[in-house]
Amino acid sequence: MTETVLSIKGLRKQMGGKPIIKDISFDVYAGEVFGFLGPNGAGKTTTIRMLVGLASADAGEIHIGGISLHKHFPQAIAQVGCIVENPELYKFMTGRENLEHFARMSGGISRERIEEIVRFVDLQRAIDDKVKTYSLGMRQRLGIAQALLHNPKLLILDEPTNGLDPAGIRELRQFIRRLAEEEGLAVFISSHLLSEIEMMCDRVAIIGKGKVISVGLVKDLMEQFGDQVEWSVSPETTEAASRILRALPFVEEAVASKEGRIMCKMDTERIAEANRTLVLQGIAVLGIAAKTVTLEDLFLALTTEEGGAEHGHAGPGAK
Amino acid sequence: MGMLDLVQNETIKILRRRRFLVILLILAILIPIFTYAQYRSVLTAQEQMGTSDWRALLQQKIVDTQNRLASSRLPEEWREFLKITVQQQQYYLDHDINPMAPGAPTFARGFMDQAISLFLPMIIVVLAVDLVSAEFSEGTIKLLLTRPVRRWKVLTSKYVTLLLFTSLTVLMTLILAALISGVVFGYAGWDMPVLTGFEIAGGELETAGVFALPQWKYLLMQYGLGWFVSVVVGTITFMVSVLVRSAAAGMGIMMAALISGAILTQMASSWESAKYLFVVNLQLTDYLAGTLPPIKGMSLPFSLTVLTVWGAASLVVAYAVFIKRDVTS
Ligand SMILES: Nc1ncnc2c1ncn2[C@@H]1O[C@H](COP(=O)(O)OP(=O)(O)O)[C@@H](O)[C@H]1O
Ligand SMILES: [Mg+2]
Repeated sequence: MTETVLSIKGLRKQMGGKPIIKDISFDVYAGEVFGFLGPNGAGKTTTIRMLVGLASADAGEIHIGGISLHKHFPQAIAQVGCIVENPELYKFMTGRENLEHFARMSGGISRERIEEIVRFVDLQRAIDDKVKTYSLGMRQRLGIAQALLHNPKLLILDEPTNGLDPAGIRELRQFIRRLAEEEGLAVFISSHLLSEIEMMCDRVAIIGKGKVISVGLVKDLMEQFGDQVEWSVSPETTEAASRILRALPFVEEAVASKEGRIMCKMDTERIAEANRTLVLQGIAVLGIAAKTVTLEDLFLALTTEEGGAEHGHAGPGAK
Repeated sequence: MGMLDLVQNETIKILRRRRFLVILLILAILIPIFTYAQYRSVLTAQEQMGTSDWRALLQQKIVDTQNRLASSRLPEEWREFLKITVQQQQYYLDHDINPMAPGAPTFARGFMDQAISLFLPMIIVVLAVDLVSAEFSEGTIKLLLTRPVRRWKVLTSKYVTLLLFTSLTVLMTLILAALISGVVFGYAGWDMPVLTGFEIAGGELETAGVFALPQWKYLLMQYGLGWFVSVVVGTITFMVSVLVRSAAAGMGIMMAALISGAILTQMASSWESAKYLFVVNLQLTDYLAGTLPPIKGMSLPFSLTVLTVWGAASLVVAYAVFIKRDVTS
């Protein structure tokens, strides 16, 4: 049984008289990367603020490593490292001074640990420069160093890829996977981009308008709503083409949406293979369009499904 | 996680933000200016007397007073007061101190008399105004509040640091005032007697309890009062820093309060309840020197009480708001 690092039950919050967080519950386990996916304004940052003690919840319970955040704040929060929105640091101090400041607030952190974490995020050369001279990428790395300094069980990152270039995003993704797989951390990441969650996370909670719509394995989600391919064929061969496609083992579904159009749920990497089969059987393929599912598509699908029920199973992240 | 670690953090931040350096610079620039102004006024006074023979002048004064004492129609307490005045003047003669040309301690005394109600509070405002609000405006409050430290402890570490630097500021004011002015006026006069012990009864100055105090003791009392005023103004500014996120707004609020206090005091107000405002009660050293207070019913204990109540109330508000408030954006 995997350890539950973060457990949220029935979280609610009003702001400015309006209910912003209406009912949020989910668990995050050790060693997994958990995505918190929702469009802008869904309430991701507000939820995270409550998770790290910046804002108080109106109702609901948060347990970190089994300890109630509300009742035993210091003990619970000691297990958390976080970056909420941007990595905020003291710009008028050096990187090292920032880490020392943070170490004194956490307690029991040795000089060696600071050296170790600086090497870990590869900031050795700039660590004695003032933070105001740092690039965004360097600030991000110092922010991560600060978040990991005290060896937390749970790392919380709010939209960590905001403002990063593609190379930076790739680096971050590898880094996060390594933390979860090698160090056994639970990593909690919010994002409004499905593609990001798909690449980084094991499980995901989808949130819209302050409510959890769905919790489950990313794999299951992508299987259910994964990539689709639209085939255009000459109208009179629509039926035959659908039959051929449906017969392929890697095609889950093939629906003729209208004359000459067939929607396929299938892996986009196998388009060529499917195309060859069609052509060999005498179908004239007029066009192929790979459609990557977006968060908006997903939302539409999930919310129009009755009651927005859970998909897959919400059990511990099976790997 | 101990309080000492937290205070160390706050101290490093104040020093790195160069707040204390700015204050020292302000003092190091203003004190020489005041020293020069004082020096000019001494020169002018001497010119007006024709000669610069202050000894003859003082001798004449003593003789005059003694003549008055000889006449028996004087009330007893007034007689006592005059006797002490004579003693004081005699001391000036015996120790070769020109009362018109003060030494460093006398300058430091005059400086605190002038600084206590506006200048000193203002530099304390510079020190305290963004102590809390800067953490909010720079977003670093998130670093402070997501660590295993209770919020009251975070705020206490900031307040303790403020008290530390407030005390240092008052101490540095005394040291710099004495050191810098001494270059021009010399460093003598620490034992010089200074009159104090005035009391206010029914809007009149009572001289019955007046006695002479060595100047160094008087200075200690005076700078002690200056310290108290600084702590109270610092505490109120601290509350403003919790309530108002922008340092500029906080600065504006405090400056407006202090300056209107100075104006109200000048107007010798007939608006009696103004005496409950903290800004009207800052001129504590006047009670030592025996100047009538701006509003009837004010006395040293009264002013100390008013200031204490304002300070305590500010702390309560600061803690209540800081502990409860959600951190958004
Ligand atoms: N201080 C506030 N007062 C009232 N409403 C707020 C406040 N802060 C955020 N909101 C609202 O709460 C909702 C959720 O915001 P947020 O948690 O920042 O969303 P996300 O991080 O998912 O983009 C938004 O609709 C926003 O307008
Ligand atoms: Mg957000």
